[in-house]
Amino acid sequence: MSWIPFKIGQPKKQIVPKTVERDFEREYGKLQQLEEQTRKLQKDMKKSTDADLAMSKSAVKISLDLLSNPLCEQDQDLLSMVTALDTAMKRMDAFNQEKVNQIQKTVIEPLKKFGSVFPSLNMAVKRREQALQDYRRLQAKVEKYEEKEKTGPVLAKLHQAREELRPVREDFEAKNRQLLEEMPRFYGSRLDYFQPSFESLIRAQVVYYSEMHKIFGDLTQQLDQPGHSDEQRERENEAKLSELRALSIVADD
Amino acid sequence: MAKHGADELSCRSGSLDGEGRASEDRSLLRQRLAVQELIDTEVSYLHMLQLCASDIRSRLQQLPQGDLDVLFSNIDDIIKVNSRFLHDLQETASKKEEQVRLVGNLFLEFQEELEQVYKVYCASYDQALLLVDTYRKEPELQRHIQGIIEAVVPQAGSSGLSFLLVIPLQRITRYPLLLQKILENTVPDASAYPVLQRAVSALQDVNTNINEYKMRKEVASKYTKVEQLTLRERLARINTHTLSKKTTRLSQLLKQEAGLIPRTEDKEFDDLEERFQWVSLCVTELKNNVAAYLDNLQTFLCFRPHEYSLDIPEGPAVQYCNLARDLQLEAFLTFKQRLEGLVWQPLCSLAKALLGPQNLIKKRLDKLLDFERLEEKLLEVGSVTYQEEAARHTYQALNSLLVAELPQFNQLVVQWLGQILRTFVTLQRDLAKQVLQRAEGSMAQLPHHHVPEPAFRKLVEDALGRTSNQLRSFQETFEKVLPPPTTQPLLPGSERQAQALLSRYGPGKLYQATSNISGTGTLDLTLPRGQIVALLQNKDTKGNSSRWLVDTGGHRGYVPAGKLQLYHVVPSAEELRRQVGLNKDPRCLTPEPSPAPAPSIPTVNQVIAVYPFVARSSHEVSLQAGQPVTILEAQDKKGNPEWSLVEVNGQRGYVPSGFLARAQSPVLWGWNLPS
Repeated sequence: MSWIPFKIGQPKKQIVPKTVERDFEREYGKLQQLEEQTRKLQKDMKKSTDADLAMSKSAVKISLDLLSNPLCEQDQDLLSMVTALDTAMKRMDAFNQEKVNQIQKTVIEPLKKFGSVFPSLNMAVKRREQALQDYRRLQAKVEKYEEKEKTGPVLAKLHQAREELRPVREDFEAKNRQLLEEMPRFYGSRLDYFQPSFESLIRAQVVYYSEMHKIFGDLTQQLDQPGHSDEQRERENEAKLSELRALSIVADD
Repeated sequence: MAKHGADELSCRSGSLDGEGRASEDRSLLRQRLAVQELIDTEVSYLHMLQLCASDIRSRLQQLPQGDLDVLFSNIDDIIKVNSRFLHDLQETASKKEEQVRLVGNLFLEFQEELEQVYKVYCASYDQALLLVDTYRKEPELQRHIQGIIEAVVPQAGSSGLSFLLVIPLQRITRYPLLLQKILENTVPDASAYPVLQRAVSALQDVNTNINEYKMRKEVASKYTKVEQLTLRERLARINTHTLSKKTTRLSQLLKQEAGLIPRTEDKEFDDLEERFQWVSLCVTELKNNVAAYLDNLQTFLCFRPHEYSLDIPEGPAVQYCNLARDLQLEAFLTFKQRLEGLVWQPLCSLAKALLGPQNLIKKRLDKLLDFERLEEKLLEVGSVTYQEEAARHTYQALNSLLVAELPQFNQLVVQWLGQILRTFVTLQRDLAKQVLQRAEGSMAQLPHHHVPEPAFRKLVEDALGRTSNQLRSFQETFEKVLPPPTTQPLLPGSERQAQALLSRYGPGKLYQATSNISGTGTLDLTLPRGQIVALLQNKDTKGNSSRWLVDTGGHRGYVPAGKLQLYHVVPSAEELRRQVGLNKDPRCLTPEPSPAPAPSIPTVNQVIAVYPFVARSSHEVSLQAGQPVTILEAQDKKGNPEWSLVEVNGQRGYVPSGFLARAQSPVLWGWNLPS
């Protein structure tokens, strides 16, 4: 029935077995998720370190502004306290910068590098898809000729179509095989790849907070009455406020 | 009681003789009377106070507690002080000669307490009066109150509450007068005299201070209120009066600026104000900086990188995720809360407390300008109006109030700031301690926890270097997945050309142009896309391997190698050749027929002819495309695999092997191709 319009494009038989397709989808799916997570982790890590730096900078500003107030010149006790605070803040800022640099080097950079493989992977998968489309198309063409009446020209075309099909099919199968091999390997490589980064991240925290504990511990010894509970402090604040309010010049509300 | 004492005294005085002594005695008598009056009035005063505080107040329960507090103020404290005072006063009665001196001393003892306790009452008296006025406007309430008062204190009369509430004021102002009376009747060289003198002036001071205190309180409450007025309200406030005030002040200020009139230099106040400004600045800056710090902390806490675990089930990655999550939920949260409660809140309270003094200082300056102008007027004219006097007085009150209280204010604020800063430091330490504890716990479980930091850093660097190489290799692998080969459509007429080339050169040498080639040099070819060519040499005369010498069937020339793709030819022919295992020179054009073609066919293969072939000699046989043939021998007599001996249509002969193909599916026999 040569007058029936034949749609070229979809072959009748399933050229790629369902299990193979499923495996491929699964492996690629895992990698797509990993790509997303890597990207998000990198972004969040960057934002987190930026906020960390901003926090440290605003802490330095606290002591800097205090130091520049003329009150400090007149009041010796205040001056010594604010100077000590300022020194502490500046030192902490330096340590913080170091911590952030370490994180940049050992966590954010590796994340970036890992992420940069994905474009190549995605391109490779696209090409496999292209090959699959070509394969399908040519398979359909062959099937079309196979169903036609076997005249001479038809046979010739059939033969030609088969010849065209063969390299394309082999190309697809090669790509498929290669990707099915490489994708799990790449996915698995993340384990060894990232462990040093996370170790480094934890250690960086320990280093920084050790310094912070020491510096502020010393400062507390120097300045504060240690051992006051939060309730005590609240009561002290209340007391101070009442003292202020007792003055007539302070408005009561 | 008074009468009783008087009787006694008159009996005694009768026994003394002499005029001098008589007047002395009269003084003494008056003195004793005055002292007795003091005591007696104190008794009845206290009695009245107690009636008010207990009986009347308790019956006025229908009034809200706040009102009662305003009305009766600190009457209980007054009662306490005066009870003790009365008790001591009554004790002096036993010590006859000493009594007057003791009374004087008693007043001096009680001076401070009296001032403290009465000034509070007097300061709130005006408000109490206002409240009484509002009650008067409600007839029902008024009748009720009157009823209660008349039941308890009949002599209160119709003035009722106000009569009762003014009593303490009357009492405290009466003390100096009572003492004065005693003093007048005391002999100057009596030991009691100086004491009494001091007592009189002391009680006068008490009254002055009470007035001063009252005025300051009034002025302060008038001007400290930071009124939240809308623009409309502010505009509505402007009337001729306020305008004239403001313009007068402005002109005063301008005159000062121009040097036309001297400015009142008050160094003490200026220093105080300057210090206050620094204190204000300190508080404001610190508050803003802490706000910024808290903002950044908040931002820091909203990023949760530990939520993306990359599907790594164990090891340092998991350690980190747990650590980060715990820290956010505990250590940092606690830190933030403590910071808000113990640092931020106090700073907010401090900032608010600054507003009152700031307002007062502004007002003082305004009033100062008024004051200076009035001083001028006073010099010129000699007197000022009642209102102007009040304005002068307001300035003085404001000034003295600020001078009195600003130092303490400044000091309190600075002390509190110090406290806040110390708390801030402690909070940082506590945060560090908490984080460190938790982080060290995590670190102890890491594989390299025993490695010191510098060595660890080197380790990580090396590891990262290695793994980045590994990544690179992955990338390269993926990049090797090439685009699929584009099957070029054969150009019309090229099939024949392809055959010709194929027969001349063999299948392995055929290439197809993947894109249009335009030749530039004289020996370069220009080919359309899809053109089939045969490779002659894979380098040019200079040895350049990217320029190949090819044959198009008609022309020969150079084309770039990158634009050529191996033309996929029938592989089965290759297979056949491989099976045969020979690789002779394919440039054989004519077959060598065997003398007697024996049917030594090992396999009968179902083969068809792909291309038409015209026999050129009797040894060859013609083929039509699609024709089924039977291969008799896959080589010619010389063993050349390029030619095959076939039987087709009953005829036998040689045909090019490349023109044959295996049939993939059953072929119908007996069809005829149109030639």
